Amino acid sequence: MIDEKLKIQTKKNDDIHCVYLNGYLDAHTAPKLEDTFQQIINGGDYKILVNFSELDYISSAGLGVFMAFIEDVRNNGGDIKLASMKDKVFSVFDLLGFPMLFDIDADELDAISKLANNQFR
Amino acid sequence: MKPDNSIENTICTAVDSDELSRIRDFVKLKAEDFGFGDGDCNKIVLAVDEACSNLIEHAYKKDSTKLLCVEIDSFDKEFIVKILDNAIPFDPSNVELPDMEKYFKVLKRGGLGIKIMRLVMDEILYYPSNEHNPVNTLILKKHLN
Repeated sequence: MIDEKLKIQTKKNDDIHCVYLNGYLDAHTAPKLEDTFQQIINGGDYKILVNFSELDYISSAGLGVFMAFIEDVRNNGGDIKLASMKDKVFSVFDLLGFPMLFDIDADELDAISKLANNQFR
Repeated sequence: MKPDNSIENTICTAVDSDELSRIRDFVKLKAEDFGFGDGDCNKIVLAVDEACSNLIEHAYKKDSTKLLCVEIDSFDKEFIVKILDNAIPFDPSNVELPDMEKYFKVLKRGGLGIKIMRLVMDEILYYPSNEHNPVNTLILKKHLN
């Protein structure tokens, strides 16, 4: 069951959507996060914070979800900010150089502050 | 291939992404038993996940009636993972790896699994099926320091 392997919670603070991930983000569960991003964007929102504090694993399929949406989000005046990763998850982003493209903050408040102040890449 | 999970060092599963977490758990346990620390265990698990995900998605087109097997072997300080399948042969060593600066410039998606495998493992070998052996074998090696 996808739901047991990746739980996603979202909350909206003003115009910022916060997405909380819990579990594994792999080829099986990536479509669920894709659906979540699509719903946010369909609602006309483009400032997205993703909190990874409860995420235990990510593969390239999970990275692909962020690549799929970043252009659309930035073209519409927003950004996807990533925060609170465990070391083992950050190491996968870092392995491929994703910090070149995405802001990755240790504290979600820093990421939210950047979104609130329109500090985009 | 037949599903034979009685062999302690082998796991065979349906070609289904739902099985990836079970494969990861199996490989992690074996890598820990071999003596790898957390960092290397995570790298080996990631490489195997990428290889199996590619098989499921591209080689087998998500046909869950098919099987793939992951076999653990060792030689001296070499931890060896063999991934066995019956799909059309596909040699990952023939794939051109993406330059990440260009990749990020064009905001591409996908195509990172093989790059990850090459980055985190020490050696990758591929033996396609032939008239004597109907099974493709991808071998991922990691040396225990």
